[in-house]
Amino acid sequence: MSNFSVGFRTSGSVQILDLHGELDAHTAAELEAAIQKCQQENQVRILINGSDLLYISSAGLGVFMAYIEEVRESGGDIKIAALQAKVFNVFDLLGFPMLFDIMESEEEAVEKFSEAKAE
Amino acid sequence: MAEYSLETKPSKSLRKRLTERGPMVLYGILFAACLAVGIGFHFQQWSSQVPLSTTLFLLYSAVTTVGFGSLWLFLRRYYRLRQDSPAKTLWSLLITGFILISLAAITSRIGRIDAPGLDLGLGFDLNTGIALTFPTIVKMVVISVLLILFAFLLLNRFQGLVLVKRSKTSQRNWNVMLFSMTLTAALTLMNTPGAGQSQWQNMALAVSVVFMVVNSFRLSWIVFLSFKEKLATIGLCLVFATFLILAFGIAQFSSDLFVIGGSGFLQHFFVPLATFVEQASLFGILYCSTAFLSLLFHLPTSGDYEQRAGERATMHSLAHLVGQVFDAETLFATIASAPVEAGSADASWLVMPDPSSGSLRHHVVSSHNISPDRISELVDSALLVDEMTAQGDPLIIREAPADHRLNVRPGDQMGSLLVVPLIARDELIGALFASKAVVSGFERDDVETISIFAAQASVAIDNARLFEQQVEKERLARELSIAREVQRKLLPQSVPQLPGLSMAASSISAQEVGGDYYDFVQLENDRYGVIIGDVSGKGTSAAFYMAEMRGIFQSVSRLAATPSIFLHHANMALAQTLDRNVFISAIYMIVDLKNETLDIARAGHCPAAAVRLSGESRFLRTKGLGLGLDRGDLFLKSLEEERINLEPGDVFVLYTDGVVESRNPEGEEFGYDRLLVTIDENRHEDADGIHSAVLSDLKNFMGNEVYDDDMTLVVLKWHGLPLEALSPPVQSMEESK
Repeated sequence: MSNFSVGFRTSGSVQILDLHGELDAHTAAELEAAIQKCQQENQVRILINGSDLLYISSAGLGVFMAYIEEVRESGGDIKIAALQAKVFNVFDLLGFPMLFDIMESEEEAVEKFSEAKAE
Repeated sequence: MAEYSLETKPSKSLRKRLTERGPMVLYGILFAACLAVGIGFHFQQWSSQVPLSTTLFLLYSAVTTVGFGSLWLFLRRYYRLRQDSPAKTLWSLLITGFILISLAAITSRIGRIDAPGLDLGLGFDLNTGIALTFPTIVKMVVISVLLILFAFLLLNRFQGLVLVKRSKTSQRNWNVMLFSMTLTAALTLMNTPGAGQSQWQNMALAVSVVFMVVNSFRLSWIVFLSFKEKLATIGLCLVFATFLILAFGIAQFSSDLFVIGGSGFLQHFFVPLATFVEQASLFGILYCSTAFLSLLFHLPTSGDYEQRAGERATMHSLAHLVGQVFDAETLFATIASAPVEAGSADASWLVMPDPSSGSLRHHVVSSHNISPDRISELVDSALLVDEMTAQGDPLIIREAPADHRLNVRPGDQMGSLLVVPLIARDELIGALFASKAVVSGFERDDVETISIFAAQASVAIDNARLFEQQVEKERLARELSIAREVQRKLLPQSVPQLPGLSMAASSISAQEVGGDYYDFVQLENDRYGVIIGDVSGKGTSAAFYMAEMRGIFQSVSRLAATPSIFLHHANMALAQTLDRNVFISAIYMIVDLKNETLDIARAGHCPAAAVRLSGESRFLRTKGLGLGLDRGDLFLKSLEEERINLEPGDVFVLYTDGVVESRNPEGEEFGYDRLLVTIDENRHEDADGIHSAVLSDLKNFMGNEVYDDDMTLVVLKWHGLPLEALSPPVQSMEESK
């Protein structure tokens, strides 16, 4: 039924979440659970890899909005990388690039995390 | 109707009686005739004092056989449809037998000279066996008929008892017994009265005795007797057996007690019949004896059996009852009290998890003869339910005070405990506890009875829940349809008719209610505002924010000079109420009819499509965050505004993501390009034409797919303004209300 899944990886101190499939109102809860898990494990440097994310609905975007404030308050960030063009368009239409670091590649995003750490 | 039935009823029953009685009358006449002919033979023999010739004797035998055969058939027919209770059968047979034997006894004593120490015989010639006087013949015939009648009655009545709960085998055994009895009788045809029996005859007799014994153990009727009936039947059997032994005797030891020379008279009448009567009485004695013994052994268990039957009947009726109750409280109380009501337990209670408290731990929902506090003092119900689940069977604790899982001390009125599961659709929904004051109080059949009841109770609980869910579902459906109606009224009921500008709009919700919004507003100086919005997510929560958005639009739009200012105010207002994960995308356009301009600002919404008469087409993708995404200055800073100078033929299409994200059966999205092409192809139509062209294109594209998102489409077309039309506006939404 659910055609969405979240894979967990780490790169240094960055927690990487690989999103697969379609993120909509039905599957949003899975991403919520994934981010909550990261928070519980104190992994607040979260990188969303969207290379396998085929679709995102407004409810899916809402998940990022729901947690970004908390994550930033606890010193971390949610960065988004490697979105497919169509999915990026949805982020872009709503102005998400103004609110989130949305990078073309995962490496860039990891780099950005380490820059922030260096500061 | 009533008169008709009064007329037909007698004739019908008369015909029925005739068809039923007809053969019986025939048998009666046949019997009487044969008996008369038989007497004739004896009379002839007496008057000539010479034994019958072999031919005549065979003739006599044939006539007598036919005569008594008719009598047998007569009785058989008479008793065929009788369904008497065992006690009544025995009782009536005993009375009839007593009367018949008494008559025979009296007859046997008429004209008899009792001389002590002198045997005068029965009045037959000792050598020829011929009656010496005519009254002897009469005596012989009367006594024989009475005895044979009794024997036939006995067999016919006992048949009813033997064949209770008949099977093919029992029916066959009975018939075989009758057959072997008849055969044994027939073999004695040539015997002279009073003579001993040959080896063959004894062997035949042995065979029929075997079958008598077999049939004597057919005593199923005993099971259905109540304790009192059993007692009475025991007495009857004893009396009957004694009576038979005294009247017929075993090997003629006491045969002269009632009917003096009964057997002798019979043998002189017709030897095979005498043999038959002897066997019948033997069977009677056997059957009564086995019945007597069997009853005697059944008696002690009879009380228990009745109690069990009573418990079961009560459980059954309670199980039936719980099937009728839909109110949860009453249902639980009925189930919890059932083991006590049925007499299977001294106290009982029902435990279930409480889903409303979110706990899966079983706790007492209803109890009988014991308070919930007392239960929790003595028993950890949840723990026992877990144990029962683990072992997969009802849990029986034989000695509660000695069990470490319980907190029971001797004197706590809880000697033994039984836990049975309540399972509905393969899921444990609870457990029924029953306790008895005595130790080892629960036997196997108690467990079975309560388990069966528990199974029925589970179904009842499940049904009640389904019923409740159904009611709840219907209530929700009703609420939602009301919500849908309310929401429909939040959208414009008609599109304003403006000079030079044609508009068309529609909105479809994927569910009963949705988060899409569009609206029109008349501003001052021939300016009109058009808004489209899309709340993130779907369904009820989206619908509430949509309603809030409408409120903001209706109140703020007239105060805002530009689209950016309106959107900024809207963002400020929404920031206070929107959930963190909810946002609204929107586009607000202000059309100035007088100056022929269109100002547009986009707050994260799908960009409006703009197509000119020349075919030049583009999306108006000005920058702007969705409403609610930023609650500070960023929103206003990010917001761009574009002004377009209207040219006749300009088409603007506003839509929600449901339109461009609609998929065909192959999973392909309708997309922005297809939308733009469709608009371009239909740009010469007016707003209505373009609107329906896009919708039908979308419908063709989707095929049989269902809408899974809210879809809203608003089309504006600027036709150019005739100078004379710059008069007061024709009608607007606000006025139409």
